[in-house]
Amino acid sequence: MSGDAGGSPEPAPASRRNAGAPARRDRGGRLWGLLAAPGALWLVLLFAVPFYAIAAVAFGYTDPVFNAPVPEWDPRYWDVTAFTEILTRSVTGDLRPVFLRTLLYVALALGLCVAIGYPVAYYVARHAGRRRALLLGLILAPWWVNYLTRMLAWLNLLQDDGYVNDLLLFTRIVDEPVRWLSGNPVTVVLALVYGYIPFFIVPLFSTLDRIDPLLLEAARDLGCSGRGAFWHVTLPLSRPGLLTASAITALPMFGDYYTNTLVSGSPTTTMIANQIEFYLLGGTRKELGASLVLLLSALLMVLMVYYLISSRRAEEGVT
Amino acid sequence: MDRRRFLLVSALAATAACGGERPGRSTGSSAVPLTRTDSPGALPLHDDIPPIADGLSPESGGVLKILNYPEYVSPDVLKAFGKTHGVEVELTTFNTMEDAISKLRTPGASFDVWFPTPDVIGKAAVGKLLLPLNKTYLGNLANAWPQLQSPFYDEGSRYSVPYCAYTSGIGYRADEVSANFGYGLLWDPAYKGKAYLIDDHREGLALAMLKNGSREINTEDPVKIKQAGTWLAELVPLMNIKTGIAAYQLVAEGQATVHHCWSGDMINAQSYLPKGVDADVLGYWYPSDDLGVVGTDSIAVPASASKPVLAHLLLDHLLDPAVAQENFSFTGYQPALSAITPEKMVTDEFVTEGLKSAIVTPDVYARSQQIFQISPAAEAVWLDTWSQFKAGQ
Repeated sequence: MSGDAGGSPEPAPASRRNAGAPARRDRGGRLWGLLAAPGALWLVLLFAVPFYAIAAVAFGYTDPVFNAPVPEWDPRYWDVTAFTEILTRSVTGDLRPVFLRTLLYVALALGLCVAIGYPVAYYVARHAGRRRALLLGLILAPWWVNYLTRMLAWLNLLQDDGYVNDLLLFTRIVDEPVRWLSGNPVTVVLALVYGYIPFFIVPLFSTLDRIDPLLLEAARDLGCSGRGAFWHVTLPLSRPGLLTASAITALPMFGDYYTNTLVSGSPTTTMIANQIEFYLLGGTRKELGASLVLLLSALLMVLMVYYLISSRRAEEGVT
Repeated sequence: MDRRRFLLVSALAATAACGGERPGRSTGSSAVPLTRTDSPGALPLHDDIPPIADGLSPESGGVLKILNYPEYVSPDVLKAFGKTHGVEVELTTFNTMEDAISKLRTPGASFDVWFPTPDVIGKAAVGKLLLPLNKTYLGNLANAWPQLQSPFYDEGSRYSVPYCAYTSGIGYRADEVSANFGYGLLWDPAYKGKAYLIDDHREGLALAMLKNGSREINTEDPVKIKQAGTWLAELVPLMNIKTGIAAYQLVAEGQATVHHCWSGDMINAQSYLPKGVDADVLGYWYPSDDLGVVGTDSIAVPASASKPVLAHLLLDHLLDPAVAQENFSFTGYQPALSAITPEKMVTDEFVTEGLKSAIVTPDVYARSQQIFQISPAAEAVWLDTWSQFKAGQ
């Protein structure tokens, strides 16, 4: 609200002030609607339609000759048998441990992203000075190399007789080579962190960078220590960025099957996306894979709703 | 979500829950014959898909379209064939037979030559995806193993000719394994963390059955299938077992010490050895009794072929021993031809003495077990049991 509005000698009548506004708003609304059209089209073509196709397969039927799934596009004829089977197995059956394992791995990986990524983002945003562009470039540098190539390089380094074990043995941190690639859950979690941490750092950096230094100075003027200012000002103000970074990082981790396949391939580390891959790519029961996709999407939607509510509250808290 | 949308979604969900069956939907039991070695079957012919006539000239110009697994036919062989007949040869690949069938069923898609496994030839024939072969163009079929000139899965070779043969055994590093050869290698904790199973539900569970003396690798009994799953589950804590289909690389590079694999993978592994490592470090075990799995692949002409005569000529070309051996040198998978013997392969330096057992003979084929097509219901049980194993249960 303008501070001098009440001081205007001749405030314009409300009717005159707003004259023509609806027409402008209509034109503006149409323009923005038009500009949003490609995005909306993109969303329909690349999200809504494929998602409906997955539902059509999940609720479809099986061709008796080819034993292949046939999508059912008409919801009136949807068959929920496969979805019910997957739901039952996920709640009480063999898929329950897989869901729990997936949640645990993603939670651990996210925790490590916070532990590693927050200090990095904080340092680049607040203390890097003129080197910030260089540091951001260096953080993103590994991603100039294709993902598969990077992971294959790590596979070589993590071999039983690879350089990582050589180093650990040389420094006497371990007495015998660590079996990094033999179905080791630690490797899977670290690989997830390695694969996704830039997606965590960059949005968090953006939020930290926007925090007004005057607010921190004000906190110090009011008697806060450096740690106190961080705790009472920086951390609450960075919460929206932290939530966004967590959402951007966690969502693809839930759907990642390739990292696990590359660094483990063992049943002991199977995640839910590996089961989706198994059913969709490896056999005749694609309806089960499609049902798992729907179930995982429902779970992620719950997390997204939590994220949206939390980020709204965080923004309200900030303002 | 506003109230109206909530009601809409609820209505949709309710509709889904009460979904009826679409009128005219075909859900009856499969009409595909389940052929076996002891009960072979001739696949049905269709009046609307006749074979090509005798004595036609091959088509020329344009593109001859091949549908095959990746790296499963020599590009040089295809290129030379295309050059001879004045066509460009185009290879489309698939990773599973389900993918292949899906590609063949795509409206408007056309392929001239397809490399199917025997278990899908029946359904492809019943589903009118294949063209009956005219054997007057296939003189080289006589070069195939006698059992495969009229195989049990396609009696009279109505739709297919044999391609490669393989066994499923244990590939190992001979420099680390020197005793106790057998399926038990995969249960030996000495190789914990460096043991692999073929990532295939039928192969993996069949291995557990054979290791425990059961030959019922095509059973439809859920109890027996689940028992195999229980046997396999022992490997999770005992061996920290992994699954994969890259034995040729993992054994060669030493990442795997013992790997349940196809024989062709170990022949291929010779090309993946690191510099300076001798091929003698590679070994392959296959049982000398009947407790082993043997398999073959085949070649067929899809009903959608636009160059069916030339397709027949390519089938015949690949059955020529000299061409087949050249193809073998690329794929690592031996052609099922009488001219390919273990002794000849060692003499010709295709394989080392230690890998001689990876060459399949008609005798091995005759005595071994085979993985057959089973009913969709049984297939689902096999798949779910394997899924539970893969989930670490």
